[in-house]
Parts: sequence; C-alpha cells; structure tokens
Amino acid sequence: MTSSIREFASKKKPGDYYQRLAAEVEELNKEYHAFTTINASQKGKAGAGVPFSSKANICVKGFETTAGSKMLRGYVPPFNATVIERMLASGEYSFLGETNMDEFGFGTFGLNTEVPARNAFDKAYVAGGSSGGAAAATALLKYHVALAESTGGSIATPAALNGVVGFTPTYGAVSRYGLIDYANSLDKIGVISRSAADARTVFDLVRGADSYDTTCVVGKIRDEKKERFYVVKELLEAAEAPVKRPFEKLVSKLESMGRKVERISLGILAEAIEPYYIIAMAEASTNLAKYNGYKYGLQYGELYKRYDEFFTSARENFGTEAKRRIILGTFIRGESVRDRYYTKALVLRRMLIESMQKVLEKGFLLSPTIPILTPKISDASRLTPVQNYAMDLYTIPPNLGGFPHISFPYDYVNGMPVGAQLVAAQANDYSLLGFVDEWEKGFAYRFAGNVGDI
Amino acid sequence: MRIGLEIHIALPTRSKLFCACGTSAEQPNTAICPICMGFPGSKPMLNREAVVVALGIANALHCKINERTSFVRKIYFYPDLPKSYQITQLGGSLGETGYLQYDKKKVGIRRVQLEEDPAKIVREGAYTLLDFNRSGMPLVEVVTDPDIRSQEELWGFLRTLRSILYYLGIDIDKEVKADLNVSVGRDRVEVKNVTGIKNLVEAAKFEEERQEQLVKEGEAVKQETRGYNEKKRATEPMREKETDEEYGYLYEPDLTVFDVSKISYKKPVYIDEVTHALAEKYKANERTLKELTMFDSRSLERIESLKGRYRMQSIIHAIQRIKKFGKEGISDSAFEKMIGLIDNDVEITKHVIEEVERGREVVVKHAKLTEKELERRIVEYLRENRRLLEDYKKNKKAANLIIGEISKRENLHPKDVSKKVLAVLDKAAGGEISI
Repeated sequence: MTSSIREFASKKKPGDYYQRLAAEVEELNKEYHAFTTINASQKGKAGAGVPFSSKANICVKGFETTAGSKMLRGYVPPFNATVIERMLASGEYSFLGETNMDEFGFGTFGLNTEVPARNAFDKAYVAGGSSGGAAAATALLKYHVALAESTGGSIATPAALNGVVGFTPTYGAVSRYGLIDYANSLDKIGVISRSAADARTVFDLVRGADSYDTTCVVGKIRDEKKERFYVVKELLEAAEAPVKRPFEKLVSKLESMGRKVERISLGILAEAIEPYYIIAMAEASTNLAKYNGYKYGLQYGELYKRYDEFFTSARENFGTEAKRRIILGTFIRGESVRDRYYTKALVLRRMLIESMQKVLEKGFLLSPTIPILTPKISDASRLTPVQNYAMDLYTIPPNLGGFPHISFPYDYVNGMPVGAQLVAAQANDYSLLGFVDEWEKGFAYRFAGNVGDI
Repeated sequence: MRIGLEIHIALPTRSKLFCACGTSAEQPNTAICPICMGFPGSKPMLNREAVVVALGIANALHCKINERTSFVRKIYFYPDLPKSYQITQLGGSLGETGYLQYDKKKVGIRRVQLEEDPAKIVREGAYTLLDFNRSGMPLVEVVTDPDIRSQEELWGFLRTLRSILYYLGIDIDKEVKADLNVSVGRDRVEVKNVTGIKNLVEAAKFEEERQEQLVKEGEAVKQETRGYNEKKRATEPMREKETDEEYGYLYEPDLTVFDVSKISYKKPVYIDEVTHALAEKYKANERTLKELTMFDSRSLERIESLKGRYRMQSIIHAIQRIKKFGKEGISDSAFEKMIGLIDNDVEITKHVIEEVERGREVVVKHAKLTEKELERRIVEYLRENRRLLEDYKKNKKAANLIIGEISKRENLHPKDVSKKVLAVLDKAAGGEISI
C-alpha cells in the first residue's frame, strides 16, 4: 500500500485545497458525523501539510474539545496536547478537525454520544467505538491521518469496522499530556491510517519522552520480527461463524506466506473483560469527578444552589453510559468491596501480563479484531451493557497489558470490511508495522471514499 | 487525656507540587495553570524539591523511608478541590512508623506523607470566591499516634517539632495547621483545622475541660467533629455529616512509583541533644542554651565556632546582649571582639556594640569596679612593676606614668584613677601597704 503522506507530498495542490477540503468535509459530515469540530476557517498552522484529525478527547488549543460529552460542550482548551504540539511543530501536517467518539471513550460502537458517527461503508451500520469518527474519516478521506486513542479497543475496533489500519502503541510510548482521561493506566494515543507506513510516520513523530507525562517512559522501540503466530483457542471459540470463516482463510494465507500459525490454549485471555472493566470504571469514576458545570465546558448556571445540590444537578448532563460507569466505578472503590473487585482485578491484570509476555517473546498473537460482523446501528443499540462489553473480548487483553497491537483489513464480507488484530511484546511496535507493510503488498485495501483526491 | 495530631506543614519550595507554578504570588489567581486548575487533559508531574524536603522531615522523625513511594487519589467533592480528588499518599507514604523524642517523652509518628493543598475559599457577602494560587501547593502531613497525654506534653511536642523543622529550613510558627484528636475516655473528638501552636494548645485545653466536665456530670462524650473558634477560645460542633465520609482511594495512575533511594536530603538537628552535650562539656546552663538556639541556627553556629576558645558563659552572654538590642546581624569579627570585652568585664551596652561594629577601640568605664577593687588592681600592678615604686620614691613625677598605665588597663579616664593611684603610692611608700 502506498503511503498517503508521501503521495500527498509529491502532488501539486491547488492554492485553495484546504478551504475546499474543509467545505467538502462539512458536507460529508452532515451524513457521517465523523467530525465534532472542523477547522473550516483554516486557522492555526494550516495550509502546509498532510491533513490530520485528532479524536475529540485530545486537547487542541483554540478548538472546542468535548471528548464527546455534553459536559464539555463549549470547552476550548488553553493548551495543546503534546501530540498536537509535535504534529504542528513538524510543519508537515495541517489540522483538519476533531473526530467523533463515544462520550469520554465509553463504548464499542460509537453510539454513546448525542449524534453518533456512521460507518463509512454504509450509514446504516455503526462506525465502531470509541474512535468511530477517526476511523470513518480515514476511510472517507484520500489524504488524511487520524490521531486516535484506545483504552480497551477504541482504535482497533472502529479501524476494523471501517476497513482501515488501527495502530495502538505500547502503553507509555506516546505522551498522554492533553488527553482527556478515561482510565489513565490504560489510555494510549495511537494512529488510524490508510497504511502501516502512515501509522509509522505519525508514530515516530509523536512518540518519545515528555516531562509533562510521568508515565511516558518507553524510549527505544524494537523491530523483532516473529515468524510464529499464535491463535488462542478460548478466544476464537467465542467468534460468530461469519467471522470464523474468513479468519480461517486468513490463517491459510499466512501459512502460504511462510508463517507458522499455532493454536494454543490460554484461558486467562478470555477472563480479561471483568478485570478490565473494573479497573477502567474505577479510574474513570475519579477522572469524571471534576466535571461540575462551572469551571469549563457546560455552564450549569444555577450558582445560587448549595454546592452538593448544584453539583448533582449539573452532573445529570452526563450520558447514560457515563453515569453507569461513574456509579459502578465509585461502588468498586468502596471500602467494603474494593478488595473483592478492585484489588483482585489488579492481581488478575498482573497475571494476564505475565502469561501474555511469555507467549509474545516467541511470536505474535493473532485473532479477529471483533467477534461479530459490523452490526447495524439499530441492532447494536439494542444490546445490553454486558453484551456490549463482551464485544471487546479480543481487544481487551493487549490493552489491559499495555501491549502494542494493530488491526488491519484482511477481507470483505457482504461488502463490509473485516479486520484482524496482531499483538506484539511491549516496545516491539515496529515488528507489527513491518508485518502489515508486508501484508499490504499482497492485499489491496478497498476504501469507502476518496474525498480530497487531487 | 490522649491527643493525636494530624499536622499539615507547608513546604518552602519554589514551585508547586505537581506543576511549575510559583509559590509566592500575591494577587489571587495569578499563579495558576491547567495542571493546578485540574483542566481536562492535564497531568501531574512531581516536584523533586518537595520530595527532598519531605524526605528530610521523614528522616528527622526517625521514620522508615519507603524507597519506592507512590500516590493515591482521595476523592471528595468540594468547590476548593479542582479535580474533585486530592493527590496524597497512603500505603506508599514517604515515611512510616517513626517517633519524635523530647525530654523523656516519645511520641509515635504513624506517617509522613506528601500531598497537595486545595484552593483557598474566600467568603465575601453572598459570594464564595476561589483563589487557585494555593491549589497544588506542597504540604507534608505528619500523623502521630495518640501518645500525647497533657497540654504540657502537647506544647513540648509542638515546640520540638517546630525546632526540628526550623533546622530543616521550614518555619511553621504561624503556619502550622493541624487536626487534633482528643479523648479523656473511650470516645474521641476530632477538632479540625486549628492554626498556630498557641491555638492548638488552647483547643486541647478546652476539649479536656469540656470532656471532663461531661464525664463528671455523668454524660457521654459524643464522638464528633468540632471546630475551634479563636475569638471565643472554644471548640464548637461542626455541621453534622449524614454518613461517614468514604474517600474511595485509588492508586494515582498518572504518577509512577518513585524510587527515592538515591535522593539526598538535609540531616536533622535535635536541639535537645546538641545543647545537652554543650552544657555538659562546657559547664553551661542547658536550658539557657536551648532557649537561645531552638529557633536560631545563627546563634548555634556562633557557639559551635567559638566554643573552647572563649568561656561558654561569655559566648552565651554576648548572644543574649545582641538579641536584647536587636543586633543579631553583627559580623563574626565584631562578635568575637565583644566576647573579648566581656572577658575583660566590660559591660555590653547598645553603644558598645555599635562602637565595636564601627571598628573603634572601646573606651568604657568599668561600671562595677569598686574603689576597693581599683585599689587591689593598682597594688597588683605595682607588685608586678616594683621598680616604678622606687622611681616614685625618688621622683613624684613618676606617678604620671603609673596613672597612664592603670587608666589604659582599666579603660578608665586618667582623672578617675589619679587620686587612687597617688593614695596607693603614698601608702606603699610609707610602708602601710607592702609591695
């Protein structure tokens, strides 16, 4: 696959390219709702480089950044996230806008926000979540890269559902400064793009130590190639048949490429959903405690009320899923139950990391990205919370362990793309990008649109 | 009575605990940034200088240092808390299980922890105003065991702690804030947010008397939280909380575990031990030494550098005099000259200190020199210089030389000694005094 970044640089652009692109994106957005903010006036350092977008939970100075929440409506950050700072400082990228997402990242299908993004292949289908807007935008725009963010699968899932590459780096490789927190020990900024090459270019630009993020400590990134691919039986069993069938074809294809695919049993990976949601909700409930309707974002206004009353009323503006996670997360931290839930989840997380590390020293972990085919919006919105959480079965283990992973398109079923997920050992991020580079030589991606073509 | 304390000590660092904002702004809301305002997306970064100072405190209080220290979020909702949680320490506190000793008393220290201060609330009429300059200021909280048994012990504990902190470079005279736990029996009463050593002792005194009175009247002491009213010098019940506060502590995921094993910090000065040793060796009054040096490192330095070369009494006296006249800033050489004068029985007045400071030779009268003493000194001089008496016998004019010498020796005007010198010479010449 050619790099859209390199291709764009080689093209001669008309003088009003960015203004026209912004206008086209505005039109497109009426149908797909991929963006929450569009840099229509092209303010800031625009008009020079490759258009890039950032997920709406990454702070961009001077642009409304809501993290998909009504509570942050109208919030214009007074500072840039480190990743934005680095993109703009390079002079090679132009800020196009911010992309739609589930409120604070709480969702698998992108539906937990006021106006959800639509799938780039078919508007009746979900864009996926939580970085649904980023994936849909990447699928629709010819020259564009997206900064996205994953806590439990929010890059891989929407990338798979929109037929693009979703790369989630090792936890701590990219600074989180300026990322509106969901669950700090899990949040990672990554890239959604049309090729592994683009993901690598952006990753190399934004990664590396940052004094503003104490947890950003992963310095050296490795490129240890692996010939062995492990498929975990307990995980694959849970996939529905229409997902298993193309996946088995992928396995054969990999074998014909000279890779050795091994089926192994690693039951703990199928037990990761519960500890993940316990830790994510516990952290999220503390991160959301600060939104109280008077300092930034939503101005609740009824300042005459007593603080308790004011606080409670203002916070009614959270969406249903956010309220659910605040309540559950607060409960989990309670003195009488914390050992039963929170402490136990931390132990399980440690065990999971150790058992995954052993396997990842020898090879990659391979699975579908999501156990079902892309659902229609009408079907997905009928799922119960627990059914929803179960959709993260494949993306949670690498996210909970901080392992780098990449989702890449490998087939099309009923005209809709399906994605596979590859997981590597911590800091071995380049090996994933290297493999997908190779994959792209033998498999042509079909994109949903080519808006902004020159 | 049993008293336990939770003491909050403001650290004298240049920047706040988790951001680069300064700590000395005066205009409200001028030393603020996205981090100490808790803006979405901001993250804390730990101030190393605060860790150094806090480690010094933990070490001075004989705590076990957690070489791998970590932070927690303490969640509660109040307008002064921008993130709705305070970053503090719990299990991974910098210091644990130490003690503070003074006289023969030992008070257990449970924890020494680093934490951030919330914003300041200012009530103005119907408005609640917030000043975020204070938000994120570094604090050390020292939690004691309930080992303090009387007001005197409380006073002693606080004074000793203040001295230890003073020598670590932290002045808590007026700034010390603490919560007191006081119980005379089974149930304890918490007195929140008392400021200053004097108020802490008075609050404890009031609580002891109040609780004892209740017991005497056969009433139960209610386990509750009270506040201290400085004007009334009394504790008062605070607004009742409907439920016990639960903070839902969470390990702070934005700060990694910090290794403090390689950080060096200031060593403590235990003034009791220092002054005890000095008093023993140089035969001086221990109490006086302690009073002079407890909150005055300059005086201790002077004592340490001059001990052995001068009489300890003279050094102490010199310090007392410069303190009396507000002349603590005197130079080391002038100070040493002063001690020389004291050894020569010169009375140190403000005028004398100023003369010494100006580098002038001090010619001052011996205030205490009695007629009899002067006579004794003249006799002594003549005995040392028998030849002079012989000269005088031959020629009365030789008296002038003797008068001159005596006045110089005693720092007195020749007029004031001439009469006595002549009288002694005549007596000596007549054999009334044997030389």
